[in-house]
Amino acid sequence: MSNPFSYLFSCIFVIAAHAVMLFNVFSSGSYESSSDAFILAAAVIGLDIAYSFVMLFFRQHTFTVNFMLLLIINMSNIFQSCFGGVSLDVKHYVTGIAALVSCQIGFLLCRSHKRIQNEKKIVYICMILVMIAIVTLTGSRSMWVNIGNFSIQPSEFLKPLLVLACATSITEQQNKVRVWKFYIVRENVILFIMTAAICLLQWWCRDLGSIPTFAAIYAAGFLLRICYPKAKFSKKTLIAAAIAVFVIACVGVYFAPDYVKARLFTDIWSDTSGGGYQQSRALIAIAEGGWFGKGPGKGFLCDIFAHENDIVFASISEEWGLLTALMTVLALLIMISAPLFDPPRSYYHGTLAAGVCAAFTVQMALNIFGSCNLIPFTGVTIPFISAGGSSMVTSGLMTGMLTAAQSPEFHRIPGKKRGANV
Amino acid sequence: MKSIRRCQRVITLFIMLFLIGMAVLVVRIDRDAPFYMMHSEDHELGIVYDRSGDVLFDGTGTGEYEENHFLDVGNLIGDDKGQMENTLIAQNIDLLNNYSFSEGLIREGGKAAIYTTLDHYANRAVYNAYAGADGCACAYNYKTGELLVCASVPSIDVTKGYGNIAEMKSGTLISKAMYGTVPGSTQKIPTLITALELMGTEKLFSKSYSCSGKYVNAYGDEIVCHYSSGHGMQNIQQAIENSCNPFFAQLVADPDMPLEGIKRIYRTLGYSVNDDEPQYIDINGIQCETASTVLTDTDEFNTQWGCIGQGETLVSPVQMMMWESAIANGTGKMTMPYLIDRASDTYGDVSVLGSTRFSKQLFSEDTASAVRQILLTNGADHYAVSVPGYTLAVKSGTAQVLEGAEENALLTGFIVDDRHPIAFCVLLENKYGTPVTAEQILKTMLDSLCS
Repeated sequence: MSNPFSYLFSCIFVIAAHAVMLFNVFSSGSYESSSDAFILAAAVIGLDIAYSFVMLFFRQHTFTVNFMLLLIINMSNIFQSCFGGVSLDVKHYVTGIAALVSCQIGFLLCRSHKRIQNEKKIVYICMILVMIAIVTLTGSRSMWVNIGNFSIQPSEFLKPLLVLACATSITEQQNKVRVWKFYIVRENVILFIMTAAICLLQWWCRDLGSIPTFAAIYAAGFLLRICYPKAKFSKKTLIAAAIAVFVIACVGVYFAPDYVKARLFTDIWSDTSGGGYQQSRALIAIAEGGWFGKGPGKGFLCDIFAHENDIVFASISEEWGLLTALMTVLALLIMISAPLFDPPRSYYHGTLAAGVCAAFTVQMALNIFGSCNLIPFTGVTIPFISAGGSSMVTSGLMTGMLTAAQSPEFHRIPGKKRGANV
Repeated sequence: MKSIRRCQRVITLFIMLFLIGMAVLVVRIDRDAPFYMMHSEDHELGIVYDRSGDVLFDGTGTGEYEENHFLDVGNLIGDDKGQMENTLIAQNIDLLNNYSFSEGLIREGGKAAIYTTLDHYANRAVYNAYAGADGCACAYNYKTGELLVCASVPSIDVTKGYGNIAEMKSGTLISKAMYGTVPGSTQKIPTLITALELMGTEKLFSKSYSCSGKYVNAYGDEIVCHYSSGHGMQNIQQAIENSCNPFFAQLVADPDMPLEGIKRIYRTLGYSVNDDEPQYIDINGIQCETASTVLTDTDEFNTQWGCIGQGETLVSPVQMMMWESAIANGTGKMTMPYLIDRASDTYGDVSVLGSTRFSKQLFSEDTASAVRQILLTNGADHYAVSVPGYTLAVKSGTAQVLEGAEENALLTGFIVDDRHPIAFCVLLENKYGTPVTAEQILKTMLDSLCS
């Protein structure tokens, strides 16, 4: 480790940020017993320290993304533990740890371009298996697989797989084959078919809110294909693609189920007890919270369905203030914009980072803008902030890809050591 | 490195689009938060005051008031329960919102308030003067536009809720001064204005018509006079003082009063003629109906009857009062009434400030001067005893309603007094069903305002 001071400073920064939040919980939170707040504090600070130690065992060029992830996950733990009264949300805490673990798994899996490139068939096989699982295991056109007390949303796992598929196929752009009168890249066709299949599957299981996320991941991959050296996408092709997207969107809206159309055109304030219930409550909660919030555990939104995931931005705004909610979003943005400050080392890693960025920003936009009535309301989660095991784990995997983009492994040079920078 | 930069540009694109969306969201939340707050169960409204600081509505729910303290202003000031839409609070609830997004929910100490121009003492005195009869009365300062009195009987004490809403009398939940009513002979003032505009003062005063108790028009229909023996030959001054229907029927049928000319002047005065779109006067968000009538043929009964103030003609008391301001000021321009003198936000800073405004030119200054003189003469000749102590310009009216089953009494005019430039309109419903007279109500109102 070449710069232990910056590592230490990052640890202290993360712990200090959580300490300030915990101080707010102690001073203005709503809790029955102070032991509840102490348990929460111990859990959060304990996880900060433990993960900081664990990270030392993973050799990386930079730990920026890791520390940002730790900061965000424990912020989320504090938020989720305070909704409706301070008490450690064990389930969310455990899923947070799972997200940290999956981040490291994602990092180890994706840091080597060569290895994942050679095994990319496995990525497609996994995608097909997940899709089969959705069709066969989720029951009647549902998106959930129930195993005992746990529910898994398999479609979430398609997001990191699609990002991987986009990244691993990027280098194939020059391998064109002639089919009838056209020169095509076989990988592009496969990827398009897979994306279309995923979107149709999401339509089938009524999870239309996720379609923009998959479309964004594919769009990021598509944009980078256009930019790929010697890819030679003609203007006609691009215009045709743009028209196709527009037509597909129009057709999608036309054939959308009634409940989706209703969301597109609902005036939430004229239907505050029906279709506009969650959004109107969310906006009222944000208004009541103001810039600085009512205080942890003092909100009313905790009594509203899906307060911890679909309208979590409003829940945070109500109890902690809009300023804190915006800072949380900013922390997420800083994490996903890490490739701007510390550029990826290859086009593969850059594509990974762009795919993850696309997925995260679109998910945040769908959740925040939807719950605040700027766009139609969907049930999409904010990565790491919303409750939900599947979302946490897959978001962790995708963050691992970001980490991999920061600290890639090309080839080992025996005897040469590399230091870590934060 | 070029290819890496392309990746960074794609990342930047997504982040920038998201940031733009966030910026829009934050601006929108900051702007609309007071609106969201109005739907909250925890929102708190401020206080509405009259011109001397008396409370007309207490949104904090903390004050203690005597029985029926709010009764006389219930259907004008209203509340936030949604039962009365055309009221001051319903239309200006955002001004009374004790809320600021920068501090979130302010539970105590908010200073949001509306300071009205209303004189609660006078308003309550007028309300009580009805003594069980129904009707409405309004008065305002014709120089500034400050609405001083706007009582409508019956009314509701909003602090007592709407539990007995099914048993309430018709018109309880509205301020009748804002809605059209049959104007009776007060309609002769707009007809007089129209004649002056079309003929000029000299020509009108040179005309005289005979009244034998009734007038048979070109189609054989009768316009009867309230004085069955007839008023004999009269000029316009005498006709106004006698409130003579046959005179005005003949005036309307006069070749110097062409139909298109009457329509034009009526429309300028604010009438919706025939199938015109209804017009409204805005008094701090409260919608006040103007006037409407049907004019088809000056020789025909309905047109003549309408110009006398019966038939299809409807005028709101506030509109009548406003015409009086154009006469009283001598300008031919109405002074626009307002009810909110100023409003303060939750920090006590002034957020809205009332100001004097005037309408467009309705009629000439010469016309205003002539009508003013006619009404002053009428006031001096007929109301010096019943409403003593004032230089009164006034016109009375009796309106047949409910197919002639009842008659309403109206008085509209102004007083000449530099310290109290007051224009008014009083409506007493079913005047034969009560010992109270419109003159008594007017005297109570003027005494309360000028004391």
